[in-house]
Amino acid sequence: MSQLGFRFLARRTPRKDAEPKVRGLVKYTNDLEYPGMLIGRIVRSPYAFADVKKIDVSEAVRMGAVVITPDDIPQKPFNPRLVSVDEVTFKDTYVLTYKPRYLGEPVAAVAASSEELAQRAAEAIRLEFERVYKPILDPFEAMSPSAPRIHERIMKGDKWIDVENNIAARLDYEEGDVERGFSEADYVLERGFKTGKRYHMQLEPKAVLCVPEPGGKLTIYTTTQSIHNTRILISQLFNIPESRVNVVKVPIGGSFGSSIQTNYLVPIAVALCLKAGKPVKIAYTREEDMLDHSNFVFHFKIKMGARRDGSFTAAEFTNILDVGAHQVQPYPLLGTSLGWFVSMYKWRNLRYRGIAVYTNKVPGCALRGYGAPEVQWAVETMVDEIAEALGIDPIEIRLKNYVGRGDIFWGQGPTVRSVIKSDGVPELLLKGKELINWDKRGRPGEKKGRYRRGIGVARGFHTSGAGGPISGEVIDYTGCILKLNEDGSLDYLTALQDHGGGTLDAHVKIIAEELGVPPDLINLASASTENTPYDVCTHASRGTFVGGECARRAAQILKQKIFETAVRILGRVVNPEALRIGYDEKLGETVVYVEGSDLKITLREITRTAWQRNWGTLVAAVTYRATSAPPSFTVYYVEVEVDTWTGKIRPVRVVAGADVGIPVNPDMVEGQLHGGFAMAWGMAFSEDTKYDPSTGEIMGRMLITDYKIPTAQDVLPPEEFKVLIANTYEPSGPFGAKGLGEAAMNPAVGAILNAVYNAIGVRFYELPVTPDKVVKALRERGETPW
Amino acid sequence: MRVEFILNGRRVAVDVEPSETLLNTLRFKLRVKSVKRGCERGECGSCTILLDGQPVTSCMLLTLQVEGREVTTVEGLEKDDLFRRLVEYFIEEGAIQCGFCTPGILLTAWAGLKQGRFKSVDDVREYVANLCRCTGYVKIINAIYKAATGVAGR
Amino acid sequence: MYRLPEYDYYKPRNLEEALKLLDKLGDARVLAGGTDLILDMKTGRYKPRSVIDIGGLKELKYIIDTGEALRIGALTTIQELVDSPIVHSKTPLLWEAAIRFAYWQIRNMATIGGNLCNASPAADTAPPLLVYNAVVKAASLSGERYIPIGDFFLGPRHVSLGRSELLVEVIVPYKSLEKYGSAYAKIGRRRGHDISVVAAAAAIRVEDGLIADARVALNSIAPTPVRARSVEKYLVGRRPGIEVFREASKLVSSDVSPITDVRAPAEYRLHAAMVLVEDLLLESYKRSFRGGQE
Repeated sequence: MSQLGFRFLARRTPRKDAEPKVRGLVKYTNDLEYPGMLIGRIVRSPYAFADVKKIDVSEAVRMGAVVITPDDIPQKPFNPRLVSVDEVTFKDTYVLTYKPRYLGEPVAAVAASSEELAQRAAEAIRLEFERVYKPILDPFEAMSPSAPRIHERIMKGDKWIDVENNIAARLDYEEGDVERGFSEADYVLERGFKTGKRYHMQLEPKAVLCVPEPGGKLTIYTTTQSIHNTRILISQLFNIPESRVNVVKVPIGGSFGSSIQTNYLVPIAVALCLKAGKPVKIAYTREEDMLDHSNFVFHFKIKMGARRDGSFTAAEFTNILDVGAHQVQPYPLLGTSLGWFVSMYKWRNLRYRGIAVYTNKVPGCALRGYGAPEVQWAVETMVDEIAEALGIDPIEIRLKNYVGRGDIFWGQGPTVRSVIKSDGVPELLLKGKELINWDKRGRPGEKKGRYRRGIGVARGFHTSGAGGPISGEVIDYTGCILKLNEDGSLDYLTALQDHGGGTLDAHVKIIAEELGVPPDLINLASASTENTPYDVCTHASRGTFVGGECARRAAQILKQKIFETAVRILGRVVNPEALRIGYDEKLGETVVYVEGSDLKITLREITRTAWQRNWGTLVAAVTYRATSAPPSFTVYYVEVEVDTWTGKIRPVRVVAGADVGIPVNPDMVEGQLHGGFAMAWGMAFSEDTKYDPSTGEIMGRMLITDYKIPTAQDVLPPEEFKVLIANTYEPSGPFGAKGLGEAAMNPAVGAILNAVYNAIGVRFYELPVTPDKVVKALRERGETPW
Repeated sequence: MRVEFILNGRRVAVDVEPSETLLNTLRFKLRVKSVKRGCERGECGSCTILLDGQPVTSCMLLTLQVEGREVTTVEGLEKDDLFRRLVEYFIEEGAIQCGFCTPGILLTAWAGLKQGRFKSVDDVREYVANLCRCTGYVKIINAIYKAATGVAGR
Repeated sequence: MYRLPEYDYYKPRNLEEALKLLDKLGDARVLAGGTDLILDMKTGRYKPRSVIDIGGLKELKYIIDTGEALRIGALTTIQELVDSPIVHSKTPLLWEAAIRFAYWQIRNMATIGGNLCNASPAADTAPPLLVYNAVVKAASLSGERYIPIGDFFLGPRHVSLGRSELLVEVIVPYKSLEKYGSAYAKIGRRRGHDISVVAAAAAIRVEDGLIADARVALNSIAPTPVRARSVEKYLVGRRPGIEVFREASKLVSSDVSPITDVRAPAEYRLHAAMVLVEDLLLESYKRSFRGGQE
């Protein structure tokens, strides 16, 4: 990793919000209070698939609570996630409903002056059911002609459509001639894969505070990855002009995709607030958070064809997506799943069938990677198998076929294509190989004894945002405001969120680098929808690549204005192009100067003069859409040890490589990889919400006692985790940078399970791989003593 | 019912319900927001406080149980040298991402340091069992071990 | 599931007051550390009319070495067991279970008395205490009563304490295990804090090259923590060795009745139990040469 002569970038610096975080001063949504605030609680359906006949609120009302039922809310269906354009947005959700379609779906809500009172009032509401149906928990069962319809009619855009066979959405795609491709193959492999239903388990349970302001305005504070989309949705649902809805950016305790959409509690709180005329806060319990949204369940059927020399000739990919009870845009997920698949390797001929299906489960929403961890696990497993069958080195086969520099890439879907300009894959694969001692890994058949070790590799990527040259089905643009204060310090406003990965710190460093102003003179101003240009959402690892580039452009514009102002002051300089700006170490100041002369003026003097002479404010407001979404590549080498008697597996060593272009925050690159690996470990071995087949309730009563995420003891000791950062530069990114948040995790599961295969010679096609599955597989091969 | 205890060195007296948890008393009545509600089931550690210097999950304590005892949160350690050193290591290592688990982890780590429990990296991993979803723990462990020994864990 | 129920709260200042309250109040639950009771009240498992907080009874916090046994006050916390040098050296099985118990924050509040009286089939302190043939002392207004640990657990969350009895002490006779080698292990779903999928403790004594006595106890694999009597019976009189231990471990199936739950399938529990038993017997045997314990 080279410094490349950056003054502020590519250096480890303490994050700006570190101090408030360690002192416990950061106020997350549930820490906020407002005088006169009521606390809201949601009444949830006890049945997974039912029709409510009557909601008896009399006792709750008598207790003095504010109560709302579906009758209090305009019954228009919506989709909580506004990232897709309206024409392909499928709407089947209602703020409250008489027709709950999953156990826990909000049916009514109350607000009272204390949590205790609100809870009692909620418990006092009586639900009477017209009909209770047996829940459908399997998408294949849901698609069968005899299955009852979970939804009958939904909206797509502004049109009503009928739902057949519980199919929520479809996406098909073909390229080339698949049959010919398979006929040209010397080896064809077909496999099926299934995942569990994971839950985000971000440490902060979601919350919202809605405050009515004078003049009919609403201020909303909530756990969200998109303040603007929250505002737009609330404005649409309640028919309030956007200028009277302000959503304030609040620090968020992790998200991982769970708040890309505007979650149930937000419109519910708004409705309670409107009815009560008072501020209302709702904070989920952990169990409610698990009931709000979790991940999709993926069922894949994949067929790959390869020639003897290892080049791929064709692929067929069927993706059955178990959506849960409501759509949070599985349609674009069908597209990105395809995009991830297509962009892993050059298949040359391809057929894809994607079907999203309703079931009576918690609605699925994006979980870090939006299908990529699942797809890349499946692909990397099969590529490993093909390599073995053909006798080709697994690293060589990947290098031979992968989509890399110079290739056309469309990770986010068919309408978003660009050419890859930076690619650290060979560097990472080859360096990592040495570090993990790849050549000494041995074959599964050679390994004996109770404890067996194995090494696996996998590579993957994620896009940096979802930008593109043409506007397609995905909305992706951002904006920011950067202004110079009268003393030369800066205020920076952006709607982008920092979930913890340090995105906004990256923006500050980018601005610092562009203007030569030290980061601690750049203020990350409090942002809300009313003082920021639109940003679609902090997701798709776009925070640095898209947001950072927007910040850089704003800084560039300001730079020009600074130069123009300097010209006015300096008098002798005719042309602003002669000016330079930079940080003068000796002076300890940012200065504007002319190369090859002694003309110099501090930024402080420039801004002060502009102020004193009434010349005006130097400010830049930028709105920006990236024209590409370049991939950030990651490579994982993982060594595991399997206890073949108990089926328990532990990580031994990891080498994680990331190609992020220029790493703006090297610390945070490492942090993302550590976190990504931990999440992958949980995905591989323990994380799943299991549903009771007769009731549709999540087993274990939604307690996280039974939703295990890794602890410090489950992941590696620090000295065994090595990070490699590739030496690359992305020309379309701010100072050569790309994103990382999701790429940090995507291929890790594949690497982990390829390592398990190398240890015990068993491949697993269903997640999570719990110890009992390991033991069962070994027992079937006669390899266990019992 | 009235209960008196010492919060960050100051005597406090509050009126509480028998069923009130210390977490709720701290957050609502005493306005100590650094103590977080992560799960309220004693699983995640975000609500960790020190009770007579020992880390406990405040969501699983009735306020009435802490009568006459000492409760410490990060606000109470601001001037403590050991805490400041620990915090410096955290910031330097980059052990903070979203920050939600941070106060709970800092208290646990501080208590462990004070009690001399961290003789090895494994000790840190054993005693600091709070959940974190962002960092993958590596930098947290490094920061704590550095604070314990002045050497990096790597 | 969200809020704690309403109850009358009492905080006795000494044991006698506590016993009087227990005698007087029907439908009361005793609050020690609270790590079980508070969760159970939050989830609605228990909705007692009264809660008797015995946390202030300092007279129930002690660890006394009588030379033959450890007498442990019921309110001794699990972390206090971990930090006690005499627990570590005299009753090492109990120490090993204590360090594997949940995590530090929970150990600082959870008590040995609470863990036993809660009587979860997964009670962490049970397997070691069963192997030590511990005895618990119960007190009431009518006096004291000694209950062997084997008779203490009647069913899931059901113990043989009378309504007005309070568990006050756990007596762990370590002297009798002096010539034994012993070991403990716990299998959870992750290495960090977890409720056991199955945990076990074992101790064996070898005399003249033959197994003179064997004790094996498990949790999470039957309605209560149990001694694996079939395993023990098989071992006595045999020559210690891997084959014998392997055969013995298979017999554990006669002593247990594992269930499938959200944590693990029954089949796996049984399998894991067999692995554990063999591992522990082997480890115990090794340690019996070195004089008992590491």
